[in-house]
Amino acid sequence: MSTTSAHDHGSWRRSLAPRAAGVVYAFVALVAILTITSSVQGRPSYLSSVNLSNILDQSALIAILAIFMTVVLISGNFDLSVASTAALAGTVALKTIDGYGPVVAILAALVTGALVGLLNGVLVQKVGVNAFIVTLGTLTAVRGVVQAILDGQSITAADSTLMDVATARWAMPIVVAVILAVLLLAGAGLLIKRGGSVRSTAGLWASGLALLLLALFRPLMLDQTISVWIMLLLVVLTALTLRYTVIGRNLYAVGGNPEAARLSGIDVDRYRMVAFVLNGTVAALVGVLYAGRFNSVDPTVLTGGELTVIAAAVLGGTSLFGGSGFVTKSVVGTLILFTLSNGFNVLNIGSNYQNVVQGTVLVAAASLYTATSGRERRKLRAALKKEKPPAPAELVRS
Amino acid sequence: MTGAVLAVRDVEKTYASGTRALRGVSMRVLPGTVHGLIGANGAGKSTLIKILSGWQQASTGTVEWKDQPVDWSHPRQALAAGMAAVHQHTPLVDAMSVVENVFLGRRETRRWDAAARRAELLALCDRIGYELEPHQAVAELSVGARQMVAILQALARNPDVVLLDEPTAALSPAEREVLFRSIRRLRDAGTTVVYTSHFLDEVVELTDHLTVLRDGLVVVDAPTADVTVDSLVTAIVGRELAREQREEREARPVGAPILAVTDLESAGKFGPIDLTVHAGEIVGIAGLLGSGRTELLEAIYGADPAATGTVRVDDRQIKGSPRSAVRAGLALVPEDRAKQGFLRDWEIWRNISLPYLSGLSWRRLLPSAARERDLARRAIADLGIVAGSAESPVGELSGGNAQKVVFAKWVYGPARVLLLDEPSAGVDVGAKADIIHLVRRMADDGRGVLMVSSEFEELLTACDRILVVRRGRVVADLAVGDTDLHDITARASGLKEGNDS
Repeated sequence: MSTTSAHDHGSWRRSLAPRAAGVVYAFVALVAILTITSSVQGRPSYLSSVNLSNILDQSALIAILAIFMTVVLISGNFDLSVASTAALAGTVALKTIDGYGPVVAILAALVTGALVGLLNGVLVQKVGVNAFIVTLGTLTAVRGVVQAILDGQSITAADSTLMDVATARWAMPIVVAVILAVLLLAGAGLLIKRGGSVRSTAGLWASGLALLLLALFRPLMLDQTISVWIMLLLVVLTALTLRYTVIGRNLYAVGGNPEAARLSGIDVDRYRMVAFVLNGTVAALVGVLYAGRFNSVDPTVLTGGELTVIAAAVLGGTSLFGGSGFVTKSVVGTLILFTLSNGFNVLNIGSNYQNVVQGTVLVAAASLYTATSGRERRKLRAALKKEKPPAPAELVRS
Repeated sequence: MTGAVLAVRDVEKTYASGTRALRGVSMRVLPGTVHGLIGANGAGKSTLIKILSGWQQASTGTVEWKDQPVDWSHPRQALAAGMAAVHQHTPLVDAMSVVENVFLGRRETRRWDAAARRAELLALCDRIGYELEPHQAVAELSVGARQMVAILQALARNPDVVLLDEPTAALSPAEREVLFRSIRRLRDAGTTVVYTSHFLDEVVELTDHLTVLRDGLVVVDAPTADVTVDSLVTAIVGRELAREQREEREARPVGAPILAVTDLESAGKFGPIDLTVHAGEIVGIAGLLGSGRTELLEAIYGADPAATGTVRVDDRQIKGSPRSAVRAGLALVPEDRAKQGFLRDWEIWRNISLPYLSGLSWRRLLPSAARERDLARRAIADLGIVAGSAESPVGELSGGNAQKVVFAKWVYGPARVLLLDEPSAGVDVGAKADIIHLVRRMADDGRGVLMVSSEFEELLTACDRILVVRRGRVVADLAVGDTDLHDITARASGLKEGNDS
């Protein structure tokens, strides 16, 4: 039917528009620039599997945090405490692993993270304190607990299980990769057939295609660290949940208009609290993996990491007002941040300028999103309007 | 003629949309009086208030201030001349103290002389006979005290005329008495007051002179003492309407009770209320602004955590949350649809499937976009929603169409009882008729409907039974055949007591 194809056409166009896929274009452009520059300068190929795997490994942990930060942001909240929570969980794991074994250590760390998340959730949703303040408080206090436990020293564990896990690599067999890729593409096709739009399946198409191309042309890229595989698994699971389940739909509703969601019978408090608890638990997982890298933690581990995480989410187009955002794009946002710093190293530019460039990129991206999004524009207009005296219609009612 | 401090002569107002809000209104406010300005919704009262306070300008006709024609185009000019308006929601700065709020924005001195301001405030308080602690933060004050701060703010400019727009809508009876005492004191000291209210008992009690508007015209302009209560109500609602509303509406058969509300109470909002809605019955709640009608619906829906009492739907008790209300079979179409009813960026289909999404999902977990879109298309055809397609964001629809989307969220679900809060507010005439028709259809399906409206004509057209609510209480329970607009207006505005008609 012509109408259907016209609709599909528009849908393709929309999902490829800068507004929807801008962060991906930016990432591709960045990689292209770095590739060309390094080849012009006669350096080793920027696109080598070693270098790319390296970037992936460096960004994996922050990307994991960015995924769940995005979930919290979609729900309409804000969490500054993730880096401190990760540090505490890493400390707990290393402190307990020699006495109780790795299983207990990891569980203790995860429970610690979940409890911090629960504390945030209860204070924000049940007591009603502003999320920024609550998590600024837990950011500081949890870091304080880490410092108290470590007492200024770094600690190392004798049991090396964590290190073995965190530094291990796994190469996905090519056959498995091809099968997975085909499954992803078939799933996307099936969803379209059952009434899904191109727009809502764009992620499936892109990831299936990417996996297929890698398996066929770059099998070396299928060999990654455990952290990278965990990140990939989590981003796929979360993206699918957000996109295709009732839970995901309700989460967006909760962030987009909490009052309408509540009056439609959705338990707003529960969704928002679960987001916090998930975020804390995942932060703990990241803390354990981070501690495992060198099998040690020190009191300053991951300090300031929460800002990188939020920057990645914002770069990926997540709204700080809630109700919109994509975990996949937040991961791409993380990749941009790490590609930038990696590029500075590869090109041997002074690292002094790194922060300047990263900050500029962040603000530029956020400005672009604001300028192109109707929703943010309306919010901006509303905020500006508040400066003027209220319109008579609001004041005078009969 | 001279002597009037404020007068309008043959004022007409036509809006850009073509609506003629005022069609030649003349009114004279004499100095040292309390002048009541009343009228039903849409009578043109708001427009006249806006013109008097400088928010809007008349299309034709003149506004005279102390016998001089004036042409105010901004409230600042009205204020400078000595005309201060206190609106229903005068914005106060919560974090600032009483004295800071009262003198907010006054510019004659640059220096903030704390002692002088304090003394001035106390003098003002003395003038109206109301005590306020100058340094208390406004956030800590009761609604009534805040209203007094707003009035003091107006008085601080030394106006000759104070315009009070629905000052008692949010006040308790005790606070009202205090306010009335203050208004009388002001009048006796020579300040002129223009007073608007929906509560006719107040107007009769307080004012010296009355102007009643209907359909953009003055229908009564007389000293209050010469006006009888009965003629006042008739003047407001119009004679034909009051008598002729009853068409050929026969009592429809209703089924078993499905919604039972017992001893429902929320402190400070409404008193203990019992009510029942039967299957197939449309029950209207007639109440004026501030009567507690919206709060009552919210409490029934479990959205008011402070409410006590029981709400049952078909013997399932609701446990204090909208979620449990939805599960028990309640549905709410809220008053402010943009804030509470839909997500403006979401497409029509995603909005419609929000409350019962699990039911449209595979294994209650994976929503089926195809089924959702089918439902949305059905709703668009069924309810006559004018939209490009099911993909249009609801924020882009007109008020009436957006409201139909909010209805559609519940129409195709298992809800047994619908709670409707001003279902046709801000909706054009055609959509209004559609919505009433839809409400009737849902009742014919055997559901119960409990509906709040400030347009009593609408209740008389749609409902089987009408509960009149005033100041948080049900004051009358009337079969629609036994009542008329005159009767309901009189009861809701406090001019008539008892359940006999």
